[in-house]
Amino acid sequence: MEESNRMEEGTSAARNEAPLLEADGLTKVYEDGTLGLNKVSFTVHPGEIYAMLGGNGAGKTTTINLFLNFIEPTEGEARVDGIVTHKEPLKAKERLAFVSENVMLYPNFTAIQNLDFFAKLGGKKDYSKDDYRDVLMRVGLEEVAHSRRLKGYSKGMRQKCGIAIAILKDAPAILLDEPTAGLDPKAGREFIKLLEDLRSEQKAILMSTHDIFRAKDVADTIGIMNLGELVMQRSAEELRGEDLEKLYVQYMAGYMEKTPESVPHEEEPAIS
Amino acid sequence: MFTILVEKELKAILQSPKFVATFGVCSLLILLSVFIGIQEYHASVDQYETATQLVDQSLAEATSFFAMDNTVYRKPSPMQIFVSGVSFDVGRLSKISSREDVKLEQSLYSESPLFAVFRFVDFTFIVQVVLSLFAILFTFDAINGERERGTLKLALSNAIPRGQYLFAKFVGSWLGLTIPLLIPILIGVLLLMVLNVPMTGDDWAKLVALIGVSILYFTFFIALSLLVSSLTKRSSVSFLVLLVVWIMLVLIVPRGATMAAGQLVSVPTVAENESQKDRFRTDQQQLIREWRQEAWKNRFSALEGASREERRAYYDANKDEWDQEDRDVREEMELSVTEFNRKLNEDLRNAKLEQERLAFILSRFSPSSAYQLTAMNLGGTNTSIKKRYEDQMFAYRESFSSYLKTKQEEERAERRRQARQSASGGRMIMFLGSGGEAVDTSDMPKFVDPVESLSAVLKPSMIDFGLLSVFTVLAFAGAFVAFIRYDVR
Repeated sequence: MEESNRMEEGTSAARNEAPLLEADGLTKVYEDGTLGLNKVSFTVHPGEIYAMLGGNGAGKTTTINLFLNFIEPTEGEARVDGIVTHKEPLKAKERLAFVSENVMLYPNFTAIQNLDFFAKLGGKKDYSKDDYRDVLMRVGLEEVAHSRRLKGYSKGMRQKCGIAIAILKDAPAILLDEPTAGLDPKAGREFIKLLEDLRSEQKAILMSTHDIFRAKDVADTIGIMNLGELVMQRSAEELRGEDLEKLYVQYMAGYMEKTPESVPHEEEPAIS
Repeated sequence: MFTILVEKELKAILQSPKFVATFGVCSLLILLSVFIGIQEYHASVDQYETATQLVDQSLAEATSFFAMDNTVYRKPSPMQIFVSGVSFDVGRLSKISSREDVKLEQSLYSESPLFAVFRFVDFTFIVQVVLSLFAILFTFDAINGERERGTLKLALSNAIPRGQYLFAKFVGSWLGLTIPLLIPILIGVLLLMVLNVPMTGDDWAKLVALIGVSILYFTFFIALSLLVSSLTKRSSVSFLVLLVVWIMLVLIVPRGATMAAGQLVSVPTVAENESQKDRFRTDQQQLIREWRQEAWKNRFSALEGASREERRAYYDANKDEWDQEDRDVREEMELSVTEFNRKLNEDLRNAKLEQERLAFILSRFSPSSAYQLTAMNLGGTNTSIKKRYEDQMFAYRESFSSYLKTKQEEERAERRRQARQSASGGRMIMFLGSGGEAVDTSDMPKFVDPVESLSAVLKPSMIDFGLLSVFTVLAFAGAFVAFIRYDVR
């Protein structure tokens, strides 16, 4: 109960600051006319975890790709610390760390070599091997594995390396695309703990996930997405006492009944 | 940022197990080809020296300038160690005689057809075939492989301009693959010095240019792989596409161009050419026979009814003049036959050159052909080797024939003088060339091998060098455009 109060205080304090991640009417229509995202708007403040829930093709990864400028929006803007990602992508990326689903990394490199490369790429050139070992321990990777090549790693171990890379970048905003995919229950719990630590470091975290229970455990705000639309957005406070799983199924089902199959678009957008 | 990316590429290549295996095989191939090339070169030099000594000896021992034949040999070049080109297909010797055409014969492949079946594996072949595949093998998944591993997304989630990322990939792959390959190449060069291959300054310069153009050709395949990898999403697809492109560029286009040129420019066969020459000579001989019959009839027409003694005296009085007349007519016929043969050879050669020129123009659409042509040009083992030697041998035949003619005149005069002496002194005539003293051949002209200067070699090489550069730049520019638009998701 005490912890819950502390979280609420932290979250409300965070919301007084300017948001680090902003989706403002984000719309994406692909070249073939498929609707990827339809007028999605939300904000993630420092010290806040925002979980996007939804089935396959709901638009969660598309949203993250728009923040990373891997694709350009048809309408609307994705902003990182006030920087419009498709206008100043490099500047925006300096403020972003990213953990993708099922990242394989470099199989012939050791965990430390992988971390060293991506940390340097993220502009962190002063880390020592001990720093890498510390962060690998922090994400729950045993010391014996640190100097092993990644080709012998399990999916979960590689995922932990991916999370360590994001931590090392020490960016104010973190994008997590299905970060718990491939993690066993113990590793999943450790990951939740890690997210809480990052929140306490005032990171703004946007996470896409299928995992309703972990989302409810850790997120300050939960958004449910379906067919490219944000159909529900509620704070953890508002969701207290609610059965999120039931709510999720209801929203998905209800929305599917009333949502048109596609949204008309006037012209074909350019895909970056 | 650029250095970090380049370093990573280097590490990724050098730490990959397939690199160790492939590098080992390529190094072994390069070193073996140079070593065997050096052995082959020494063997052909020994053969050349023995053959020329035998010719010199037989000339020195000749007792008459009549029926004196000469043979000249093509001198092996140290550059054939690296670029055998057509040197094993072109004959190694030609007879030099006023009665016969210059014709290079007895090539290594005609003597040992087994070698012609699989050809000689020289440095150029290894670069053209093996190393181009080596480049593809390591870079076919340069971009789409990163996408498949998720590392492209992760890398580009950082503040890295795409152009810089691609260029760093290119430079990193280039350094990671080229520097290790320079090691066996440099050891091969050291072998030249250790095994006493007589390289001139020009040869060294040509070798450096050859290594340079080999690296450029290798670079093209790295750029091509980047291009295909940036145009496809799956590494298995890019590998297949590159394999097909490689087969087209290395195997199909050069052969197709030659076949197309063969269809477009017709060249008479050797048999057709020879039969035309024979027909002309036979016609000329027939004309001479007819002329002689007529001439003899005319020469004695004034002596009808004369006695046998008168006829004999008339013959003795005019014999020298008639002999001279006969010789002049025969010489005139030989000259016209030679001129006809020369013209026929020239026409044949021009037709061949035209066919060759067209084949080379068409084949240059392939960087593989451009590389092969420039390598052969630098090595002096291109198709012009035959022309260069034949031109030099034609020129030598002229000077040798004129030398022989002068010497034969002198010998004939000496025979007459000796015959007169023996007639007045009652001595026996000794027939020249049948056991007399050896004639003095010290002033006989010597055959000098044609030498191509460095500038003469470099100038035509610049075309192919330029083409290879253009192909490489185009491939990289294409990769750049494709990667800027590449869907990293």
